[in-house]
Amino acid sequence: MTNNNNYLVDVAELKTWFSIRAGVLRKTVGHVKAVDGVSFRIRPGRTLGLVGESGCGKTTVGRTLLRLISPTAGRFLFDGEDVFAASFKRLKALRRDIQMMFQDPYGSLNPRMNIEEIVSEPLLVHRLDGRAKRREKAAELLDKVGLSAEHLGRYPHEFSGGQRQRIGIARALALEPKLLICDEPVSALDVSIQSQIINLLQDLQKEMGLTYLFIAHDLAVVEHISEDVAVMYLGRIVEFASRDALYADPRHPYTQALLSAIPEPTPVKTKHRIVLGGEVPSPSNPPSGCPFHPRCPLAEQRCREEIQSLDPIDPSSRHLAACWKAKKG
Amino acid sequence: MLMQMSNNTSAKPAKGRSLWADGIRRLRKRRLAMLCFWVTMAYFALAAAVFISERTGWENVLTRWNEDIGPSYQAPLATYEWTPQDAEPMSGWSLFGTDFLGRSTLRKTLYGAKTSIAVALGASIISLLIGIPLGAAAGYFRGWFDDIVIWLLTTLNTIPYILLVMAFAVVLRDKSLLGIPLRGMTGVYLAMGLTSWVGIARLIRGEIMKRKESEYVLAARAMGCSSGRIIFFHLLPNVFHIIIINFSLRFVGFIHAEVILSFLGLGETDKPSWGAMIDAARAELARDVWWEMAAATLAIFVLSLALNLFGDALRDCLDPKLRTD
Amino acid sequence: MMKQDNGNLLSIRKLSTHFFTEQGVVKSVQDVSFDLHAGKTLAVVGESGCGKSVTALSVMRLIPWPPGKIVEGDILLNGKSLLRLSEGRMRQIRGNDIAMIFQEPMTSLNPVFTVGNQITEAIVLHRKVSVRQARQQAIEMMRKVGIADPHRRIDEYPHQMSGGMRQRVMIAMALSCSPKLLIADEPTTALDVTIQAQILELLRQLQADVGMSILLITHDLGVVAENADDVVVMYASRIVESAAVRPLFEKPLHPYTQGLLRSLPMLGERKERLDVIGGAVPSPLQFPSGCKFHPRCPVGKDDRRCQTVEPPLKEVSPGRCAACWYAEGYE
Repeated sequence: MTNNNNYLVDVAELKTWFSIRAGVLRKTVGHVKAVDGVSFRIRPGRTLGLVGESGCGKTTVGRTLLRLISPTAGRFLFDGEDVFAASFKRLKALRRDIQMMFQDPYGSLNPRMNIEEIVSEPLLVHRLDGRAKRREKAAELLDKVGLSAEHLGRYPHEFSGGQRQRIGIARALALEPKLLICDEPVSALDVSIQSQIINLLQDLQKEMGLTYLFIAHDLAVVEHISEDVAVMYLGRIVEFASRDALYADPRHPYTQALLSAIPEPTPVKTKHRIVLGGEVPSPSNPPSGCPFHPRCPLAEQRCREEIQSLDPIDPSSRHLAACWKAKKG
Repeated sequence: MLMQMSNNTSAKPAKGRSLWADGIRRLRKRRLAMLCFWVTMAYFALAAAVFISERTGWENVLTRWNEDIGPSYQAPLATYEWTPQDAEPMSGWSLFGTDFLGRSTLRKTLYGAKTSIAVALGASIISLLIGIPLGAAAGYFRGWFDDIVIWLLTTLNTIPYILLVMAFAVVLRDKSLLGIPLRGMTGVYLAMGLTSWVGIARLIRGEIMKRKESEYVLAARAMGCSSGRIIFFHLLPNVFHIIIINFSLRFVGFIHAEVILSFLGLGETDKPSWGAMIDAARAELARDVWWEMAAATLAIFVLSLALNLFGDALRDCLDPKLRTD
Repeated sequence: MMKQDNGNLLSIRKLSTHFFTEQGVVKSVQDVSFDLHAGKTLAVVGESGCGKSVTALSVMRLIPWPPGKIVEGDILLNGKSLLRLSEGRMRQIRGNDIAMIFQEPMTSLNPVFTVGNQITEAIVLHRKVSVRQARQQAIEMMRKVGIADPHRRIDEYPHQMSGGMRQRVMIAMALSCSPKLLIADEPTTALDVTIQAQILELLRQLQADVGMSILLITHDLGVVAENADDVVVMYASRIVESAAVRPLFEKPLHPYTQGLLRSLPMLGERKERLDVIGGAVPSPLQFPSGCKFHPRCPVGKDDRRCQTVEPPLKEVSPGRCAACWYAEGYE
């Protein structure tokens, strides 16, 4: 696990805890461990898919990396620079390189601004260009995402969900970032629009050399777009592997269940379905030992007491899993 | 299902139309609302006319409210024979009757519009100037600042409003600020402004808190916007219509408050105001002199009704579901 | 197509539901006909705004007027027209013969009553039983839908439960009077995949036990493939294709169905790029002329006939219908 400069993103032991306060004096009585020790690295120009069910902490990871939420512990090296240690001035500069796109195409655009204002605002905030130049750039960006300059004067409510998501992409690309954190970028879209946006994201990646942290709950979408995949459960990564390894040979029982639970659009049933019992426990009151043990079909005494760290499944492998049973041999 | 539909009904015009333009277009289709709007505008124009004539020294029927036009307590629509002091006897006719000193009720009522609207406008501006920044900052930053603002709001709210206004008015009566004496009018709208920002601050605070977590604000933070820019460019424009709607409904409250204060003798004393007219009418009613009371009440009633109906229509038109999904 | 087949529990005939809005008439459902056989599951699939939910609400006669109205057609339950019933009679049918579950289990339960209250109310409303008996039945129902420890959980409030649990409560409520038809409007869209798997499993098992029919409204082709017997594909207020589930997925006939299936990223299937359907779903106020899919259609985009004449839904082979001039066997 040497740390060299080959990675654009290097996150180590990231923790984001929210305190639960009670009483008149607002004393902290406990923590919601939304993210509890997450580490991953992404090479430039690659895509890491971060998957998990609602409440697993994947969105919090994305927002913490941008310091929209303050981290509790951990380190995030972006291109070798420690983002969590950066001053506010430096952070503003860093935010040129790290951008984000959001899930809700209806909520993520300010309804009172027109498209030109929305797309060129990052340039204005960073005082990059004059008015005319900004307008020109906004038009270029719209063109890049499949809209046209004639849309500049319109308002968000005049667009469909897919078009709004394109506007969101244009805004995120205005500062020519290196890393784009995509938080469920297609899950609110119609099926026939989803594939358009995914293709657009892939084209842009090729064209601009972007690095993606692709946060999603849909394993099929993640499989399509990512090189590496991390599966999260209750604030931790339970499995990390290259796409091929993860989908061909999932080692963690949670990943196995997740993969088998996806209903596939083919009437010929081939796979064996593992229906998990129970529900995701609350992160304010996680179970002892392995967080997955109450739902795990393979759980045994050891799982209830100890937690297995995220380790390679065999010594030479890049495939990591946090389960006693995941090891090969 | 209906929402799916409205999603698709946002038809695309050739040129972009902001939510503002959309709301105003909807408003213009409502005849009653537009009528109310023009009635309100007429009041404002009247107030402006009085104000301008006074400042420029332009003599006209509005500024000559103090003139005796007939005998004391002349009933409306009655003709009379009258001998003013040091003058020839004359006969005349007054539309709305006269008061104790023989001044025209109509002119006083018209002039009163200026008093009421000036007070309501002044009070509104003061309360917005205090309420919006405090509410926005409290809602956005939370923490200790929010605690202080909430404490202030709650404290001011526990004191009965009229009592508070009276206390302010009494205290301010003998003081002056920057050389402006704080009695009469100035005192009234200062008193009302300083006590009524509570409602607007509370409203803004709630709205800002609600919108602060929205993704467009997150997006603004992610691109490096400062807190000031987020508040002024992203949050306030999205609550501005709420301020306007609230303002139009609150305005009526201020006019009523002015009437009550003047009635209690805390407001305007040397210029006509609707409150003072009603105050005077208390004694007159016993002598069957009803017209001064009627004129002031009618003026208040028409303005209140117009403002209320217009405010309601404004709310319907300007507060669409911002999210059309 | 008008034959009255005894196996049909629900028959919809030439249904059209319109909404009369300020901006114009929104024809949300146009000329929709299909049959649902007793004990089977029929899925109505389509994207947002295609009219699938309005179809479901029309069956319940819950279209809000104004602005919505069923303007044409008929809905037959066991051969009897629902549209000719009085409102009072319809109320007895709702909940008793037809029950409905919705997408958002948080908002479809009343937050100020316990779940027990709500299930019990549903039972008392339709059955001549005492509140006490109804409560017993409610506990029984909750056990049936897989809620552990129902004696305790019956006194919980909706906000104390997770999304999956609330959806189970909704199902318990819907099934408490053993309806013949269950309308499930996007029942698992708001849920996580592992919870979705639980709920779908539960529905299948309940269907096998009780023998009810399910009208499944969804946008998820995966859910359709695994749960439906028959499928109706809707696009821009009309049915574009209907078939039994296997032939539909094996050989879709309409270009829209084909495009939809091709554009889905599938597990285990690696493609450089996803196939796409270009453009966006048209607004119901400005439907294109002719076939409503033609501006996005790879086949009929430049075809004069597709641009001008709308193809009616026709049976192209036994049990299969399609509305496309170019569908195999159409003419």
